[in-house]
Amino acid sequence: MTDIGLSKPEPTAWERIRKVFIGHPMALAGLVGITCFILLAIFAPLIAPQDPYDQTKLDILDGLLPPGSTLFDGTYSVMGTDALGRDILSAVIYGLRISLFVAFTAVIVGSIIGVLLGLMAAYYGGWVDTVIMRAVDLKMSFPGILMALMLLALFGTGVDKVIYALIIAAWASKARLVRAVALAEMNKEYFDAARIAGMSGFRIMTRFLLPNSISPVLVVLPMSISGAIGAEATLSFLGVGVPITEPSLGLLIANGNDYLLSGKWWISVFPGLVLVSMVLCINVVADRLRDHANPFLKGRD
Amino acid sequence: MSDLIRVEDLSIAYALSDGEVFRALKGVSVTVAPGQIVGIVGESGAGKSTIGKTALGLLEENAAVAHGSVRLNDQPLEDMPEAGFAAIRGKRIGYIYQNPMTALNPVLTIGEQLIETIETHTERRGEAARAYAIELLEQAEVPQAEDRLSKYPHQMSGGLCQRIVFAIAICGKPDLIIADEPTTALDVTVQKAVLDTLKRMAQQDGIAVILITHDMGVVAEMCDYVYVLRHGTLVEHGPAARVLGDPQEPYSRQLMAAIPRIDKRLERFAVPGGMGRTRNRDRAMQFLMDRQKAAANDGPLLSVRRLSKTFTTPATLLSAAKHFKAVDEVSFDVFPGETLGIVGESGSGKSTVGRLILGLHAPDAGAQISYRGRDIAGLRSRAERLDHCKSMQCIFQDPYSSLNPRMSAGENITHAIRAHGMVSRAEAHELAGDLMELVGLPRAAARKAPHSFSGGERQRIGIARALSFRPDFLFCDEPTSALDVTVQAELLNLMKDLQDALGLTLLFVSHDLAVVRQMCDRVLVMKSGQVVESGACEKVLVDPENDYARGLLEAMPRFSFAAS
Repeated sequence: MTDIGLSKPEPTAWERIRKVFIGHPMALAGLVGITCFILLAIFAPLIAPQDPYDQTKLDILDGLLPPGSTLFDGTYSVMGTDALGRDILSAVIYGLRISLFVAFTAVIVGSIIGVLLGLMAAYYGGWVDTVIMRAVDLKMSFPGILMALMLLALFGTGVDKVIYALIIAAWASKARLVRAVALAEMNKEYFDAARIAGMSGFRIMTRFLLPNSISPVLVVLPMSISGAIGAEATLSFLGVGVPITEPSLGLLIANGNDYLLSGKWWISVFPGLVLVSMVLCINVVADRLRDHANPFLKGRD
Repeated sequence: MSDLIRVEDLSIAYALSDGEVFRALKGVSVTVAPGQIVGIVGESGAGKSTIGKTALGLLEENAAVAHGSVRLNDQPLEDMPEAGFAAIRGKRIGYIYQNPMTALNPVLTIGEQLIETIETHTERRGEAARAYAIELLEQAEVPQAEDRLSKYPHQMSGGLCQRIVFAIAICGKPDLIIADEPTTALDVTVQKAVLDTLKRMAQQDGIAVILITHDMGVVAEMCDYVYVLRHGTLVEHGPAARVLGDPQEPYSRQLMAAIPRIDKRLERFAVPGGMGRTRNRDRAMQFLMDRQKAAANDGPLLSVRRLSKTFTTPATLLSAAKHFKAVDEVSFDVFPGETLGIVGESGSGKSTVGRLILGLHAPDAGAQISYRGRDIAGLRSRAERLDHCKSMQCIFQDPYSSLNPRMSAGENITHAIRAHGMVSRAEAHELAGDLMELVGLPRAAARKAPHSFSGGERQRIGIARALSFRPDFLFCDEPTSALDVTVQAELLNLMKDLQDALGLTLLFVSHDLAVVRQMCDRVLVMKSGQVVESGACEKVLVDPENDYARGLLEAMPRFSFAAS
């Protein structure tokens, strides 16, 4: 009775992360891949051979060089250049930066809004619940990309507008998910204990419901981020996304689209490969997280 | 007479995900003769169910027979491939599950399930199978057997479902039935009838039964021979009357001493534990004693009049609104320092009464609940309501859900009083440790998360949390029904100690009459939302006037010591 697990220390966050990935080489590779992409995006100015935004550095004579060429100023271009003489590798690294920034910001802000609304719907019930959940139904009844197109048509384009559109795409599913989990948690006795203790609704929501309802959202978060990266690329490809002065991966693919048939494949293919591998990396990790969280697949845990 | 099943020196090991090995059984030997009813008893984690699962090849994938053998009529079962068990399950060994509501397939009728099993295990087909199904249901004492065949499991009560599981278990005329806690999910009045049926069926067909249970009363009524298990080892075995009446091993003695008795009230159970006895205990006691005592008058602390609660399912397009009266015109008083018990079967509304008093549900109009002489509906200001909830706290039923899993034990205890600004951060930290010691847990464990504690330990934390408010009144909602019997005894001792020391008033809800007998001064018997009998425990639980109360009392499995 007196040695209640005192000998066995709580696993630290690091140990728990290790437990998720050990023995799953695919997921581990995905995690390494994500880390590389994020580092590339953060340190883009230090890594990229050229600043693709600086028009004065570009030379039209370098236009449409194939991969492996040497530019006029002597830099070696691994992935070739586009019509403006922009180094594709540099454009991809900077494009990665825009794509990741837009996706992360939109999903995180959208999830925070969704989680708060979901908690309020569950806790207050009644008309609050009705209003929030009908709004969710309304959002869910539109195809996501159509909704985003409509919004961008209304607001105009720009990085911030794309983020708003993706936030509106992201919140509803999180609200629904959190509401369902929170309703189940509210049937547990610790919730009654908190009510009997006379705590405020805000405290009960943030200290009792939130920490116990958040796990499923954290599990779907990576999947949402890869979805948002794809959505942003689609919007940019369609020409309603980020502006041409700050090209994301989607816009780079669109830029090269015109040259694909004339044999200048590298302009679209390299950004495309980076986009695919980044989404793939995130999805493998997301799958692993989901399996780990699934009690039926846990088996021996 | 040769043995029907012989388990010899059986060890089962589970490989855990963290690479460790959990040994569920350590060299256990059990033998059952044909027609014998053998009980396997022990507390949770003792390895009781593992024996039954091994005999049927139902062990989980990560479990392995490390040592020993299981022989059914000299045929070894321990390393039989999965295919071989098809000839054994249902035909030679039947299995009865703990929860009949989940053991039956909810989308098939009783007839479909029963006839399918009959066609699998016997030569009967079509009409013959149907006739046999009815015969089996009649043997299992299912009323209107023929009509039941077209019914679905959800249309029947738990007791009836368990009888249908019996019928399925005996349809292949097995030599042995393994019944794993067959009545744990059932009410006490249903339990008795169901067990009588099981015993009669077994005797009629000469079927041997292995009865796995934690309930000594059930063993005393049913079994010829009993094995006592603890942590995977066999502690003691022998004829049921001898083991239960005159246990030889210290653990068996302790187990028997922990069983609450219906026939007389003991001061304390003879088990170790109870209130912590450390230096810091006095500081915690000082804190708890230092509360505003209710004004000393002779009136009741809590007075409930005409309390009703109707639950309404809202009308939908397809159905009208449904009303269910969970509590119907209940009135009672609770006096300072006493323990009032509320007993009744599931669905009798006993827990709802408590939830109404605590303000978790709003009662129907016309009810009056006054506490310390004030109507609680009249508490308007925040300060008044806070004062009220500090004075009235609850100990919950399910220790696995009553603590916030995302807070440490210490935070669970003191979070609320910290939130109300009653103590500073440093005081809260010290108080959490003191209260942990008071309820018999080590001070340092306050840092641990709830999942690292056992059920009994969590319940102690729940008590410490309730005490942190310095309450006068505690509502105890089946506080020990999820716990093992020795843990229950320790906890009940602790609650008595605390009540004596602090002069607490308890409202104690339980379905277990023997526990109520041990804890309560007065008792209310509830049925379908109404109080059918009330009075002193010595009267109501010894010689009840009401027929329902008498039925409840008679259905209790009797467990009498030879020694007393």
